[in-house]
Amino acid sequence: MVLVASGLERRVGDRTLFSALSLEVGAGEHVVIHGASGSGKTLLLRMLAQLDPHDADVRLDGASMAGLGPTAWRRRVRYVAQDAPIHPGTPRDWWERLASLKALDGDLGDPYGTSARWGLEARAWDRPWSQLSGGERQRIALACAVASNPDVLLLDEPTSALDPDAVAAVEADLAGRTALIVTHDRAQAERLGARVLEIG
Amino acid sequence: MGPIELGPWQIGAAAALVLVNGALSVWLKLGLERKLAVASVRSVVQLALLGFVLEPVFAAGNVWLVLGICAVMVVLAARAAVSRVSRGYAGMTLASLVALLVGAGATAVIGTGGIVGVEPWWEPRYLIPMLGMILGNGLTGISLGLETCLKQLDEERARIDAVLAFGATAWEAARPVAAESLRTGLIPILNSMTVVGLVTIPGMMTGQILGGTPPLQAAAYQMLILFLIAAATALGTLVSVLAAVRAVFDAEGRLRPERIRQT
Repeated sequence: MVLVASGLERRVGDRTLFSALSLEVGAGEHVVIHGASGSGKTLLLRMLAQLDPHDADVRLDGASMAGLGPTAWRRRVRYVAQDAPIHPGTPRDWWERLASLKALDGDLGDPYGTSARWGLEARAWDRPWSQLSGGERQRIALACAVASNPDVLLLDEPTSALDPDAVAAVEADLAGRTALIVTHDRAQAERLGARVLEIG
Repeated sequence: MGPIELGPWQIGAAAALVLVNGALSVWLKLGLERKLAVASVRSVVQLALLGFVLEPVFAAGNVWLVLGICAVMVVLAARAAVSRVSRGYAGMTLASLVALLVGAGATAVIGTGGIVGVEPWWEPRYLIPMLGMILGNGLTGISLGLETCLKQLDEERARIDAVLAFGATAWEAARPVAAESLRTGLIPILNSMTVVGLVTIPGMMTGQILGGTPPLQAAAYQMLILFLIAAATALGTLVSVLAAVRAVFDAEGRLRPERIRQT
C-alpha cells in the first residue's frame, strides 16, 4: 500500500463529520470518495495532504508524516482543490514559480503538453488567471499537479468544470497513477475502475 | 537669532482657525465637530505635557531618565501601530515592540552616536526628537505592513495553500505576501522622500529654520532624518511582517488563518 491512514477524525463544532476512519490506497490504484455535501470530503483530502491539522496516523510507503516532514510529505502527496484560485500573473508565471520551489527541484514533467491533450489552448498559459474560465483554471491546476510527479494525487472534484471530451482525456491520463478522488459523479468511479469509499 | 516666543494668546488665535473647520463640519453635516474638538484638545494637552516633561529631562542629563522616556515612547508607538490594524494575532503588540526597538531604536542610536557624533550618544536634545520622528513614521509603516500581510493571509488561503500543496515551505508560500506588505509599508516614506523640498518643507527643517539654523544645515539634518526614517521603517516593517507570517503558519508549515482575529 502506498498511502495508509487510520484513526482519521474530524469534528466541526459539536458535529462529528467522521471518526475512526481508515483508508488504504495501493500503487496505481484509484479510490473514489463519495459522501453528501458537507460530509467532510474536502477536509479529509486536506488532512491527508498535511494542509489541515489532525492526530491520525497517516503513512506514505510506511513513513509517517512526522518522519518525512511536512515539506517532503506535500512534495509527494499532491492535493488539488476543486476551484483553482486566481493567482497573480499568468499560469506560466505560476508554473515557473512552482518549478523554482526547492522541494520540486529538477523532477518535473510537461504541464503544457498534458493540458493540450485535455483540450486546453496553448495560449491560455499566457493569459492572466483572472481572464480564464473555471474549466481552463481546473485543467491548468491539474496539469501542474500531474506534471510535478507526486506519489499520490488527492483530487477534489477534478473534472467538475470540464466537458465530456476533456473529462475522458483527463481520466485516461490518470490511469496508472495512485489517486484518491472526491467526486459526485457516480459514473466516474466506474469509468476509472475505482474502489469506492463512502463517508458521512 | 532665536524664534519669536509664543504665548497663550497666539495658540488661542491659531486654535480659533480650527473653529472654521468646526463650522464647516456643522454646515455640511460631516459630523466631525466632536472629533475635531477632541483631537484639538488632545494635541494641546499632549504637546504641553511633552514640553513640561522635556524641560527637566534636558536639564537633568541623566541617562536612565532619557532611556526611560525613550522606552515609554517605543511602547506607546507599538500600541499605536497595532491599534490601527483591523486584524491581529496573539503576541502582535510584543512583536511590534521588538520591531520598533530593532528598527527605530537601533537607527536612532546609530544616528545620534554613530553619524552625528553627539556625545554622549543619549544626549536628550538629539536622541528624543530623532527617536520621536523615526517612531512616528516607523509605526505607520508597521501598521500598513501588518494590515496588508494579515489581510492577505486571511483572505487568500486558497492561493497560498495551492503553493504549499506542491511542497513549498511556509516562507516560499508567504514570500509574495511579505514582499507586498513591505512594499505597502514603505509607500509613505518613499512618497515623502520624492516630494520633499519640492512640495513639502518637512516639520523638522521648518523648526530648525525658525530656530535660527542656516537653511543648508537644516536641510542636511532633514536628509539625515529621512534616511534614518527610511531605514527604520524598512527594518521595523520587515520584522513585524516576518513575525506575523511566523505566527500564522504552524510548525508543520500549514497556514492557520484561525489564528488571525478581527479587531
